[in-house]
Amino acid sequence: MTTILKLDAVSRVHGEGATEVTALNAVTFTASAGELVAVMGPSGSGKSTLLTLAGGLDSPSSGTVLVEGADLATLGNQGRARLRRTAIGYVFQDFNLIPALTAAENVSLPLELDGVGVAKARAAALVALGQVGIPDLADRFPDEMSGGQQQRVAIARAVVGDRRLILADEPTGALDTETGEDILRLLRLRCDEGAAGVLVTHEPRHAAWADRVVFLRDGVVVDESGGTSVDALLDADRV
Amino acid sequence: MSVKMGLLALLADGPQYGYQLRAEFEGRTGSTWPLNVGQVYTTLARLERDHLVEPAGSEEGRVLYRITDAGQDEVAAWFLTPVIRTQPARDELAIKLAFAVTVSGVDVGAVIQRQRTATMAALQDYTRLKRQDHDLAWTLVLDAMVFQTEAEIRWLDHCEARLRRAATERRVVATPAEDTADKETSR
Amino acid sequence: MIAGWRLPLRIARRDALRAKGRSILMLVMIALPVMGVTAADVLIQTQDVSSVESLDRRLGTEAAAKVSYGGERVGRQEQGLDPDSGASGGDVGSMPPPTLATVLAALGGERRGIEVGGSYLSVKTDKGSVEAGGTEVDLEDPLARGLFRLEDGRWPRNADEVVVNAALAQRGPGLGERIRFKIDKSLGGSGTEVERVVVGIAESASVKDWGQVAGPRGSVPLPVRPDASERYWLIGGGPVTWDDVLKLNALGALVVSRSVISDPSPAALAADRALTGESGIDDATVTVAILVVVMALIEVVLLAGPAFAVGARRQARPLALIAASGGTPQQARRVVLATGLVIGTAGAIGGVVLGIAGAAALNPILQRSNGSWFGPFEVPWPHLLGVALFGLISALVAAVVPAWIASRQDVVAVLAGRRGDRRPSARSPFIGVALVGAGIALAALGAGQRQTTSASFIALSAICCVLGMLFLVPVVVVGFARLGRRLPLALRFAVRDAARHRTRTTPAVAAVAATVMGVIAFGIGTSSDEARNEATYVPSLPMGSASVGADDGSGDPVAWGPYVDAVAAELPDARIDQVRGIPYVGPGGISTSIGFTGPDDTPLLSSFSSNLGSGVYVYDGDLPEFIAAIDGFDAAAAEKTLAAGGAVVFADDDRPVRAVDITVESYDQNGMTDEETTAGEKNVPAIAFDLRGRAPGTGIIPRAMAKRLGLGVTTVGLVVNGATISKAQQKDIDERLNSLSPSGFLYVERGYQTPPDIWLVQLVLGGLGAILMLGGTLTATFLALSDARPDLATLSAVGAAPRVRRGVAAAYALAVGGIGALLGVVIGFVPGIAVTYPLTSQGWQTCSAQSCFSSSDFQPDHYLAVPWLLIGGVVVLLPLLCAAIVWVFARSRLPLVARLS
Repeated sequence: MTTILKLDAVSRVHGEGATEVTALNAVTFTASAGELVAVMGPSGSGKSTLLTLAGGLDSPSSGTVLVEGADLATLGNQGRARLRRTAIGYVFQDFNLIPALTAAENVSLPLELDGVGVAKARAAALVALGQVGIPDLADRFPDEMSGGQQQRVAIARAVVGDRRLILADEPTGALDTETGEDILRLLRLRCDEGAAGVLVTHEPRHAAWADRVVFLRDGVVVDESGGTSVDALLDADRV
Repeated sequence: MSVKMGLLALLADGPQYGYQLRAEFEGRTGSTWPLNVGQVYTTLARLERDHLVEPAGSEEGRVLYRITDAGQDEVAAWFLTPVIRTQPARDELAIKLAFAVTVSGVDVGAVIQRQRTATMAALQDYTRLKRQDHDLAWTLVLDAMVFQTEAEIRWLDHCEARLRRAATERRVVATPAEDTADKETSR
Repeated sequence: MIAGWRLPLRIARRDALRAKGRSILMLVMIALPVMGVTAADVLIQTQDVSSVESLDRRLGTEAAAKVSYGGERVGRQEQGLDPDSGASGGDVGSMPPPTLATVLAALGGERRGIEVGGSYLSVKTDKGSVEAGGTEVDLEDPLARGLFRLEDGRWPRNADEVVVNAALAQRGPGLGERIRFKIDKSLGGSGTEVERVVVGIAESASVKDWGQVAGPRGSVPLPVRPDASERYWLIGGGPVTWDDVLKLNALGALVVSRSVISDPSPAALAADRALTGESGIDDATVTVAILVVVMALIEVVLLAGPAFAVGARRQARPLALIAASGGTPQQARRVVLATGLVIGTAGAIGGVVLGIAGAAALNPILQRSNGSWFGPFEVPWPHLLGVALFGLISALVAAVVPAWIASRQDVVAVLAGRRGDRRPSARSPFIGVALVGAGIALAALGAGQRQTTSASFIALSAICCVLGMLFLVPVVVVGFARLGRRLPLALRFAVRDAARHRTRTTPAVAAVAATVMGVIAFGIGTSSDEARNEATYVPSLPMGSASVGADDGSGDPVAWGPYVDAVAAELPDARIDQVRGIPYVGPGGISTSIGFTGPDDTPLLSSFSSNLGSGVYVYDGDLPEFIAAIDGFDAAAAEKTLAAGGAVVFADDDRPVRAVDITVESYDQNGMTDEETTAGEKNVPAIAFDLRGRAPGTGIIPRAMAKRLGLGVTTVGLVVNGATISKAQQKDIDERLNSLSPSGFLYVERGYQTPPDIWLVQLVLGGLGAILMLGGTLTATFLALSDARPDLATLSAVGAAPRVRRGVAAAYALAVGGIGALLGVVIGFVPGIAVTYPLTSQGWQTCSAQSCFSSSDFQPDHYLAVPWLLIGGVVVLLPLLCAAIVWVFARSRLPLVARLS
């Protein structure tokens, strides 16, 4: 299995001095092609930070983040942006569709940003919308769709144009269990087709869709299968 | 009780014989509740004694059973009666943890984590089963498993959090002078 | 009442402090116009020298009064507080003029006076001569103190010494040099040149950029002609009262009294009012002024509008929470209105304070480049109060619509975090069309009115159009958003976003549109006026020809030789012809007017234009070339008639004329009598030409006829042909001619010349439009960007390159600027076309019915010229410029993480 995402001893510290907060502490994490990895943990455990670092939206204080073997730190802003529109797909809890654009336009956004022609981008968007089961909503605006439909659009946007790494941040958070399950099924499907997926959630039920579940506590991976004990955690607290 | 009512409910659809009933039962509950043929026949015998079913001839040497009117009434009453949690089932895990925190020399954190990993593995198994397409009855039973397992993980999370808080409080109690001094200066 | 506002005001104040960027933006929008108007008002008030402020300039610092008179014989004078702003009566009368002695006697008491004499001097300079003012006064006398301020050197001690001001020293002789000057005969002087030494540089209290020469008695010549002399006395001693003024008036003198002007008695005020009357401002002016203020208010409100709209939307959540916890819509409205109150108050006060400070800083700079001395620094508080109120009101008005929308918001939608505006009202386009329709109707009405009333109609029409446009903007923006499907991503995003956030977009687009509308309307007006000027221009010579005139009105014969030499020196190849004719004023000051009347006893020609000293030319065997070259003039036929002893006349129409009556009236303009001598001839054979407004005079007569009529024939001017005269050559020749005689001048026919200020006006219009458009688009764009933060974060998350933000920003500016400009141009045509009617048809109503009838054959009475270049610049270049500026200044960093949880 090829490793798509690799975080190597990554730390992220917010703020300075008295207000210093360690969001991630020397976390090592991988996601391979065809694998869906769930990251679990209570609020403030560093789940979302891990995801923003993986997507190159934020830079680690120390350690390296590799996407398909490329060190994000060496890519620069432009390079990271290019990676986001060609290799990484993002799915957010609150959908984050652009209200001024139609469903198809939202989906084709990464392609258009990458310079693909409008017609070609739209064709690809329609395929992606078909894959998520809403091909007939292509010309609706976000505020004319239900939450589940919006999240399907968001997933279509995350997978359009053969992206190998899908980062989902509580994608089911704003949805009911049934709709949420559909979204997870879509994610799972994409991973079974060869993409690497990282799913951040605090719902064990949703994490169970993953091949591996990683537990985060206070910026430390405490459990993947066994791992650090609670006492070790308490020691970390004292530092 | 439930095996009895389950078989009775299956017979409400029409006469069946033992092997058939066992296959149907396991199909609907997603093999989460395995039955052996002996159990089926014992139960059928008991149902016949209570006049809830009656034999309806035989086929290739196997006895066909049919539901009686009294049996129909019993099934209808069963569906309408809520399941009452009169007393909690004896939960081995809860008892184990209760002992773990009181008996010295046990790493409770490790117990919790090992259990959680195992429970998560079970949850993943159930979810994997769910991913294959099955009929509605089966899915509902699976969902019941999923939610129960999830509840267990949540409970383990909760235990862990309680444990950590208790540990922190212990530490505060251990160094009270320091702590109050801090508070004084910060005021 | 107050209690109901306490909470809203507190929320508004806190909110303003928290959202500093937006608050500053709103403050700037409100404070800038307040500041500009304040600074302008303070500067104008400072530059303006009132009667009181001018006392020190006219009287010096010591004298109590200035007493003057005019003419050789005087009568009783009647004057107001300040005789320079109102006096009537006796420059002509039977009394001898007052003397210093009679004046002092009339005033009584222990008083002293000195005489001051003024004159217009012609001062020799290195290149020729310049005009300068001369003052004869004992500069060291205490009573003269303050009239001049010594800057360098010393005061003159005898009649051979003078002081000059810096303006003259710069051009002519400086300190320590000899200076020569005289008073021209035409100005009543002797014409004899005197030579003096400049011993000092002194600044006059009243004049800055005009040359001044001052010296003691005998140093500066005074006019010899009594009526041209300007003498007055400065009187010392105690205050000169209103009674004293009346006494001196009885002697035929006018009095500028320090005490009367600075502290007038009721009697003096009553007399002043009786004489000058109420200074009436007519209703039309007031109406136009009010409408202009309303227009300015609309513009300011529109410019500040987007900031208030965004501010109100930012408050949407708190407002929804207020509503959810039991607040009424009225309370929600007050929170937003309170923002207007807080920002308006701060902006108004800040604007006034900054305006005064700015004026104080600008004043010395302006003084340096201005020709006259400013008055003392003056802050007109009552005006400024009005200006500050204007600022406060504009902020309140800008907050009204957002407040109204905020009070009607869908609480559930807001709390659920849904963004975007409500759907537009289906009625608004109809209201818009109706208002624009009313605007067009008013414009049509205004176009048909007389000039004074049409201005208010057209201004009202403009306001209607702007208001109507406000209602149409959302529709147009939404229309553009619909068309946006095929646009590139940034533009599509921009127009869609603009359409979604109409409360923010509409005022911005409307502000741009209103600005453009003004620019277009003014542009059409000025260029149409210009078109009329060009079309009605009457050349007085064939293109490229030039004429030299030297008529000073005295009738003294001019020696033309030096003039010919002067021209020939600069233009050796030119043909210089002397034009002979009957001068307006002949030798001995005999003024002559010659009339040609047709068969029906009416004058044949209503007007002509000529730079030569004559309207009637004399045929001496050859026709003047400049007449022969005019279109419509048949030189052969004319020569035939003249050779046969007939006359050539010019007429307004081409009715055939075979004979004319000639009348000659002459009188002695120097004589005291009104005696006229008349002569004439009837039924003179003649030929008439209609030269379509280009008649060079009234006619041409043969020399024999002039002799018969007793008319003296002289050379009335020179016509220069066959040479191209550059502007520099023209200036050189002018200077040479000027040194021969002050009335010598060269006229070069260059066809119609667009005055440079037309270009300046268009440039200023374009610049002003650019500034306002930039203001409108920039605020809207940056507000849109801060509003679109979550969207930009999403763009970033899906891989938008950092420059996409710039692209979106520029596209937003382009959309706001472009749509606004387009709308503005279309609407701007309404008042623009309307204003051309009163502007270009004026003047034609005053002509007589007959000539109007005949001239309307070839001159339309309305001109319309559309300045396409200006329009193109405004519609295409300005939005692109705005977009480019936004592109350059927009941060190209995208917000990376939308939320920090």
